[in-house]
Amino acid sequence: MDNVASLMHGFSVALTTHHILLMMAGVLLGILVGVLPGLGAPNGVSLMLPLTFSMDPVSAIILLTSLYWGALFGGSTTSILFNIPGEPSSVATTFDGHPMAKQGRATEALSFAFLSAGFGAMAGVVLITLLSGWVASFALRFSSPEYFAVYFMTFASFIGLGGASPFKTIVSMGIGFALTSVGMDSVSGNIRLTYDFDILLGGISFLIAVIGLFGIGELLQTMEEGLKFDGVAAKVRVRDVLSTAAKMPRYWFALLRSSLIGIWMGITPGGPTAASFMSYAMAKRSSRSPERFGKGEPEGVIAPETADHAAGSAAMLPMLALGIPGSATAAVMMGGLMIWGLNPGPTLFTDRPDFVWGLIASMYLGNVVAVIVVLATVPLFASILRIPFAIIGPIIVLVCFTGAFTVGSKVFDIWLALLFGLVGYVFKKLDYPIAPLVLAMVIGDKAEDAFRQSMIFSQGSLSIFWSNPLVSTLMAIGLVLLFAPLIGMAIRRLRGREVTRAA
Amino acid sequence: MITRFWAETATALATLLFGVVIIYGALEFGVGWDSSGPQPGAFPFYIGCLIALASLATLVSTVSRRVAGHAALEAAFLDPPRARRVAAFLLPLIGFVLISVTLGMYVATILYLVFAMRFQGGYGWIRTLATAFGTAAAFYLALERFFQIGLLKGPLEPLLGL
Repeated sequence: MDNVASLMHGFSVALTTHHILLMMAGVLLGILVGVLPGLGAPNGVSLMLPLTFSMDPVSAIILLTSLYWGALFGGSTTSILFNIPGEPSSVATTFDGHPMAKQGRATEALSFAFLSAGFGAMAGVVLITLLSGWVASFALRFSSPEYFAVYFMTFASFIGLGGASPFKTIVSMGIGFALTSVGMDSVSGNIRLTYDFDILLGGISFLIAVIGLFGIGELLQTMEEGLKFDGVAAKVRVRDVLSTAAKMPRYWFALLRSSLIGIWMGITPGGPTAASFMSYAMAKRSSRSPERFGKGEPEGVIAPETADHAAGSAAMLPMLALGIPGSATAAVMMGGLMIWGLNPGPTLFTDRPDFVWGLIASMYLGNVVAVIVVLATVPLFASILRIPFAIIGPIIVLVCFTGAFTVGSKVFDIWLALLFGLVGYVFKKLDYPIAPLVLAMVIGDKAEDAFRQSMIFSQGSLSIFWSNPLVSTLMAIGLVLLFAPLIGMAIRRLRGREVTRAA
Repeated sequence: MITRFWAETATALATLLFGVVIIYGALEFGVGWDSSGPQPGAFPFYIGCLIALASLATLVSTVSRRVAGHAALEAAFLDPPRARRVAAFLLPLIGFVLISVTLGMYVATILYLVFAMRFQGGYGWIRTLATAFGTAAAFYLALERFFQIGLLKGPLEPLLGL
């Protein structure tokens, strides 16, 4: 009941005219970055972050989380109307959403997408309300070795479950860790890895990396594809939305299953993209008429959308309670919290309850606001995509570089953004995952501190990571996740051998 | 033509080099143990080793898949029409960066948009100039006036009294 009381207090923090206006502004900006290719949730948040440095943290986080919700909705709009996913996590929505739109059921597809997305997000937020306090108080027992074990677990699951080549994931993650250790060493105060370049003294900001890797890199890839917007016109009428909403309860099982998949993938760092694909595959496999999928089956829109948004909001739980972001966007937001002088993790719940519960309450409101705003503005944003890419592309470039400069007002950052853009383009083409790099840049310092402090406790012995049941369990889970592909391969080999023996 | 094999190999070599540079940089600060615990270079040193080893592993797996005759590696990394499209976007972008750091970001914004719209997009002068100056003015109002953040200025803005 404690949580409910805290939540009510949170609503009193979040429910002001100023905050509601910020939510609407955030959602609108979010839909815009979600709709435009090359701009997505992670770099939308990165571009806004420097502008929030002077705001109070509660308003700032409300603006940024609303932008995140908006971006998730915007991504599905383009998936359905243009068959172009505005966000990687809405790729699965194109499979059935665009066929529905082409059959003249665009409104139905959009309404299904937004309503189920809202449902998924709510499921995620309810989970955060119920669990975050508990997880945080559990995590208060953590000391440095446990923290290092949790960081290890996070990266192990990227390597083991990421889907990309494990070596490429390690390279990407290592580059992130290496870049974040450039500049001042927070433990000893030494200046490291600057190679006598004064410009590196201040370190390398993760915001520049996100803007370059996700923004410029993605734009280059979009240009390479030679993309053409060939959309389906859509008008959203209130009557159609309501009649679609009336059909929603029929899909209660798909909604529930997809929410669970999304929540699970959001808490573990699988992220929204993996969640939406997994949910789509599950829906297709368990459907009584799988042949209808890919041809405009509503469940094929509902499943990925619910999971996508459930994962997106659930990713905030480990960020708030443990200080470990569950997605690239959450990583950027966590970096923001640290810049505002907040320390994400269990102590945040005791030190700044107004911030934490204000944020959680704003997630409820923000998602309701987002569903309404997105339904009202679909025609507007669809018409933005009819502006030729010869104009939109360069303007996105300008926004990215302007954003890069505003991070620290350094000329060097402009060059850096260009460099990260080229790296991001090559990495994407060669299937190097980029999220681990960003995550490593944000939590690199904390992981290093946790490691060094553990080593000081134990006088340099690695056995401290097996010294009590809690840390041993965490490390063991990490190792299992790390070697998951090898274990899977071994099982398949064994099975294969049995089959050949039987034959 | 660049095949995927060469792109994979070159990237793995580049990340290998990056790892070695990090190891080299870390060695300068000591990678061992002193009275206060691990020395500042220790963590970057192990990270550098990790990058280098993983790059080597990528290299080995790429080469061995090539020996095994993996077809995907023979595919083009960037065929000529795609390369042209990327270049048509990337080169003006680099030009924008160069002008930004010399003449300031407002001038670069206008020149870049004029180039992209008039000479690449084939729009008329009026629409081009309206979009270019409109965008620059929008940036000016939003950033300098509303958020009080200055953009990078060059030698031309003071002449206009901005």
